[in-house]
Amino acid sequence: MIVPFGHVIVLAGALFLLGITCAVCRRNLIMVVLGVEIMLNAASIIFLAGALRWFSMEGQVFVVMVLAIAATEVAIGLALIVYAYRRTGSVDPINFNCLNEQPTGSQLAGFIRE
Amino acid sequence: MASCWIENSTLLTAIVGTWAPFVTFVLIMLFTRHRPKTSAGLSLASATVSLASALVLLGGHWNLQRPLEYTGRWLVSGDIYIPFGYLLDPVSLLMLTVVAIIGFLVQFYSLGYMAGDPGFSRYFALMSLFLWSMMCLTISPTLFQLYIFWELVGLSSYFLIGFWYEKFSAGQAGKKAFVMTRLGDVAMFLGVLLILLHLGNLNILEIDSPKIVGLMPPEMLTLAALLIFGGIIGKSAQFPLLTWLPDAMQGPSPVSALLHSSTMVAAGVYLFERLFPFFLFSSTATTVGLAIGTISMLLASTMAMVSRDIKQIWAYSTISQLGFMLMGLDAGGLFAGAFHLTTHAAFKALLFLCAGVFIHQYGTNDIYDLAAKGTRRMRVPMLCTIIGAGALAGLPPLSGFFSKEVILAKLAGLPNPIWLVAALLGVFLTAYYAFRPIFIMLFPPSLPAANASNAAPEGTRHRLLYRIMVGPLVILAGATVALGFLQTPLRNFLAGQYTGLTTAGGAHLGWLPYVTSLLATGGVALTWWEFGRPGARQTGFVDGIPVIARFFAERWYLDRLYRAILDHAVDRGISAVLAQNDTRVIDGSIDGISRGTVLAGRLAALINAGMIQYRLLMIFAATVLLSLYFFF
Amino acid sequence: MTLHGLIFYLLASVILASTGMAITRRNLVHAVLYLVFSFIGSALLFCLFGAPFLALLQVIIYAGAIMVVFLFIVMMVKPDLSEGTVLPLRQLLPMVLFGFMYAVVGVLVAVTDPAGRAVLETAVAKPTEFGHYVFARHYLAVEIISLILLIGLMGALHLGREKVPKEPEEPS
Repeated sequence: MIVPFGHVIVLAGALFLLGITCAVCRRNLIMVVLGVEIMLNAASIIFLAGALRWFSMEGQVFVVMVLAIAATEVAIGLALIVYAYRRTGSVDPINFNCLNEQPTGSQLAGFIRE
Repeated sequence: MASCWIENSTLLTAIVGTWAPFVTFVLIMLFTRHRPKTSAGLSLASATVSLASALVLLGGHWNLQRPLEYTGRWLVSGDIYIPFGYLLDPVSLLMLTVVAIIGFLVQFYSLGYMAGDPGFSRYFALMSLFLWSMMCLTISPTLFQLYIFWELVGLSSYFLIGFWYEKFSAGQAGKKAFVMTRLGDVAMFLGVLLILLHLGNLNILEIDSPKIVGLMPPEMLTLAALLIFGGIIGKSAQFPLLTWLPDAMQGPSPVSALLHSSTMVAAGVYLFERLFPFFLFSSTATTVGLAIGTISMLLASTMAMVSRDIKQIWAYSTISQLGFMLMGLDAGGLFAGAFHLTTHAAFKALLFLCAGVFIHQYGTNDIYDLAAKGTRRMRVPMLCTIIGAGALAGLPPLSGFFSKEVILAKLAGLPNPIWLVAALLGVFLTAYYAFRPIFIMLFPPSLPAANASNAAPEGTRHRLLYRIMVGPLVILAGATVALGFLQTPLRNFLAGQYTGLTTAGGAHLGWLPYVTSLLATGGVALTWWEFGRPGARQTGFVDGIPVIARFFAERWYLDRLYRAILDHAVDRGISAVLAQNDTRVIDGSIDGISRGTVLAGRLAALINAGMIQYRLLMIFAATVLLSLYFFF
Repeated sequence: MTLHGLIFYLLASVILASTGMAITRRNLVHAVLYLVFSFIGSALLFCLFGAPFLALLQVIIYAGAIMVVFLFIVMMVKPDLSEGTVLPLRQLLPMVLFGFMYAVVGVLVAVTDPAGRAVLETAVAKPTEFGHYVFARHYLAVEIISLILLIGLMGALHLGREKVPKEPEEPS
């Protein structure tokens, strides 16, 4: 007799929401990766609760997977951050926008006329 | 049933007989396209196999009491179970035999007619395809299977009508035949769906059984019957879809012979025979059918009276005779229709093959040209033409007389005398137009100089080809004469079909045969007076009134009417609206969407500054919206 | 409310509070330390859910290894701590909007789902059983995990090399 399953869902959901807020709103690449970690943690919690709810060990096995993924993701993600920091001297995601092509006002106006 | 089909000799015969032509088609198309002789041999062999199996089936089941049905599962889709198999009953056996005999003779004849043609192998392959689809249509146990082969018949006739595809008019004629019959097929398909909706399956025996009256409300039954009748109108070239058939003579003559006698157009009448009780359940449908048969018969007769093209004359006569058959069937005479279909198959094939001999020899279709070139010197084909035309006109000792008399007796039994009067008028007109080309060809105004090399085919090879062509003519002429005397056995044979529905053979009026033969003789006499007697002006009474002659020659302006409808209503009306819709609405909206998308992308790019976190946010938003969609 | 339920709510509030603190800290070192608290709370929760082995892994890998790596990176990078607001409004507002929708959906699902009403019973998967289960049933998954870790290792090595090869066409 612990708690109803729904309460665990609410906990995991709230944790996930915090994680995504961190990943989306913080202006720092390290915090973005940290937010992803929080989200993975929320997933682990709900997997374990599910395993207990249906008395199946599959959920626990999956948590091992999540751990491995998290480790790998942190290793590569942080290596990427270091790499990017070396090249640009910044970890603010707003500086990594070279994919974005800002159209000029005249281009836009010409496009609307077409 | 799949396990025991080998042991069942009847089924085995049917399978071998009907599928041999298809095997031939595949073999020719795959392997022997460049070896014309092998192809012709294969094709002829398969036709022989089909003929033999059809004869064996007919002979073995002469005293058939109950229809034999063999079906195997082909497709199961939900509740709908689609069987595939064979239905052998008197109607289908008779038709199968007719198709096999005519097919065999025509293929034999083609050996001579098509000799040296570059498409020789292709021709025989397509002929086999044609034969296969028609035979399978004949023995279909379900309307669905029948519909498949119905379309295959249309397809192969399209190939054959447009066989000389280098000729523009041939391609056009093929297309016309295909599209016009398709118009009727759409109606038929709807009718079939309607039956499927109410009955749950398409088994022909169940459709024909009286229980369908309980399953379908009467107006639905009438509607379904009328829709299916639409398919018959298209296939059998009845009014108003009759103009494709005269153009279909662009194909080789043997093709016309096959098309007009036993396969393509006969398929329509055969479908009527197949669903005969079903049509009789709806009196509206039979009345409409009666009217359409009568109109087509009279219309085509008038067109034939002024045509100068020998194949076109016979084509019009086919339409009018098919109208005749439909009249007989709609009047409630299954035997009348089936018997006339059989005799018509024989004499119409004969007429077309004879015309083919003339055309092959002299290279023209015009009867006056043919006469001037000395057709009368080709004794055997000329004699055969006369026999065929006599049967067509319904002169007494020939088969056409007997079959027409049966139909007329049925019509005389109807309460309304107008159908009988119309039919008698048709008999008169038929005699007139059937003998018009004959007298023209027999008594040309100025005989050409006796040019021996022109008249008698020179060279042994040429003579051999000529003999090959003449052989089937003689056989068919014999059949034309003899079939009339087989009336009683055939009637007994068909009596097994739909027992209880065949009403007593109409009022057997003693005076009817005399009136009929009198009218036919009168028609022939009128033709003789105008075309045959020494010093005749060789112009028909219709030609004296140019307005009417022109009206008839232009096919009552039906083609022009269709053209005008197409041009005005479809091209300028619907198409214009659709085109405008295309450019304005569809193109415009798609352009607008694409421009809007790019514009939105640009604007969005302006806002989000290409930052990864906004992309992450978008992913999250999309997930949330998706979850909204999934859960509510 | 049973003792187990009490522990659950306690742990849940600790986890949520420490995580909330973590994501709002300006100083990254503080953020990581708060997150270590959160992960240790999660580990205790795992224990409560009958997975002691996974709880240990959580402490060792997450709270230990991964967070330490984070600390290292924070020290290596030395980010500019005088950035503007912690949570800029033009990113936070849409996040709040979608987060609200997400929360509504989540609560509705948790309330309406009949599976959510079932009360969890205590049970323990001993590490031995768990190990047997993993290696008997999911040996392929274990292989895949090892492959993924190998790839992660190679990627980190490649990215972390001292000499960054300059691609001429890439704008710096």
